[in-house]
Amino acid sequence: MNPPAIAIRDLHKSYGSFNAVNGVSLTVEQGDVYGFLGPNGAGKSTTIRMLMTLIRPTSGSIKVFGMDLATHRADILRRIGAIVERPDFYNYLSARKNLELVGRLSGADVSKASVDRVLGIVGLGHRTDSKVKTFSHGMKQRLGIAQALLHNPDLIVLDEPTTGLDPQGMVDIRDLILELSQDHRKTVFLSSHILPEVELTANRMVIINRGKAVIEGSVQDLLNNGRLKVTIETSEVARAQQILRESSVGNHLQSVTQGELIIMLERHEIAGVVQLLTSQNIPLSAVTPVRSLEEYFISLTQEVV
Amino acid sequence: MMLTAYRVEMEKVFSKWRTYIGFIALGALVPIIVVALGIEGQDYLNIITQQFGSQFDFKGNLINGYTVAFIIFAALYVHVPFLITLVAGEVLAGEATSGTYRLILTRPISRATMVTAKYLAVVTYTVLLVLFMAIMSLGLGIPILGTDSLLVLRSETITILAGNDLMWRFILAYCFAALSMITVASVAFLFSSLVENAIGPIMTTMAIIIGMTIISAIDVPIFDYLRPLFFTNHMNGWKFFFDVPADSEGMTYAADWTRVAISGGVLLVHIVGCFVAAQLIIRRKDILT
Repeated sequence: MNPPAIAIRDLHKSYGSFNAVNGVSLTVEQGDVYGFLGPNGAGKSTTIRMLMTLIRPTSGSIKVFGMDLATHRADILRRIGAIVERPDFYNYLSARKNLELVGRLSGADVSKASVDRVLGIVGLGHRTDSKVKTFSHGMKQRLGIAQALLHNPDLIVLDEPTTGLDPQGMVDIRDLILELSQDHRKTVFLSSHILPEVELTANRMVIINRGKAVIEGSVQDLLNNGRLKVTIETSEVARAQQILRESSVGNHLQSVTQGELIIMLERHEIAGVVQLLTSQNIPLSAVTPVRSLEEYFISLTQEVV
Repeated sequence: MMLTAYRVEMEKVFSKWRTYIGFIALGALVPIIVVALGIEGQDYLNIITQQFGSQFDFKGNLINGYTVAFIIFAALYVHVPFLITLVAGEVLAGEATSGTYRLILTRPISRATMVTAKYLAVVTYTVLLVLFMAIMSLGLGIPILGTDSLLVLRSETITILAGNDLMWRFILAYCFAALSMITVASVAFLFSSLVENAIGPIMTTMAIIIGMTIISAIDVPIFDYLRPLFFTNHMNGWKFFFDVPADSEGMTYAADWTRVAISGGVLLVHIVGCFVAAQLIIRRKDILT
């Protein structure tokens, strides 16, 4: 059996009395697109910096492909391509020269064809010889992905890769992540503070908050299981409430306010409830299901804000 | 891997505009000085030999290529450290400022290798700058003004070195100058490892050089213990190659080798100390930029 691509155990990082990372444990299997989700300031980037050996853990262990990061740093980094936070480059050099220099340090093929190929993948084929100082943030983000791919790593660590991209750019990056995973069998560790981004690309995920892993599992299980919080908007709230109370889901009615009812339902129950209300001539203006995890994550994000 | 990292660092250093400031400055100043001394050199010589005028009768081509190279050496030597710190002070701190530590320290090379490669690139730049000064001074001075003896004037002494006894002295003096400038570069490199802004190391290194020079110039007994430890006090060691000391029995020596060895040793200790300290700092540094 293949060892996990990443196995982090009880990882801590403290700055004085402040615990930036407070006992994170997680396992990323080879081939996963693993979502590393958390609000800003949750400890995601600090964890990634420890994974990439930019900062030293206070305690805990990190193993990558079964090798201990503390003792096999070079062997591990040879197999990882990463963007860590902002995509910063040598602004006085061209995109091509930047890739050549960092590629050489990774032992990559930095031939013109190879560099052009990677720049083409991220949509920068037309700006290979432009100096990076002329690039927009989105273009630098793309260049960041290019440098992460250049040495053909087995594990790709992407820290907020769609930040600063336009909507089409976001879609392109998502498609690229899926292509890397499905067609090239790469393991992708995707850090994000945007739940839908993770949902659309990852198969497994962890939510981290205040330096701790809160919940870990498959995206399918975490997002689609359990009851959904369904908001029903109607002009006849009182009658709708009466109908629902007398139905089999009446016990799950949560609250009633002017113009809307909130009820906890299984996904398969939603259609039946809608049918029940419309059959009783209740005019519905909107039915909005919100998953409990999504609601939880939004509350975490708002807490930070 | 060291060679790869060194080449990468060299490409980075020589892709920056600031790297060429030193070469441009020397490339502009040296020809101006050579031409000026060629035109008005005799007047200049009369002024500086005024106090010996009644005792000596100076004959021959005394404003020659060697004289000009010596004068340029003494005049520009004070300012070259600033040009060196522009590059050496930026080489590590610049990575922090621009956020590119994240780019290079996530590669499969050790931090020690990265720091060594950067240091070697700085040393290479420093040596090339001193070499450029040498080539410009001697390379322009000798063809334009010819060769002859060199007059080395001190406050109370005058040494006349024959033309055929000079080239080796200049070569060793430039080697010593490179050592002195590498010391300056090493100090700037050390400060560059400490901070995340390139201006800081440049200003701090210059402040230290100025501070040490001021303290050395003040004749207070308490400073007598400090002066020998200051690298600035040993940077002028290149001048010892143009001394012909004599002992109490009148025996003369080709150069003041003892003082060359002492000054060279002090500079080497500073170089090694700064390099090792920078290595330890970067090794333990959390990259937060």
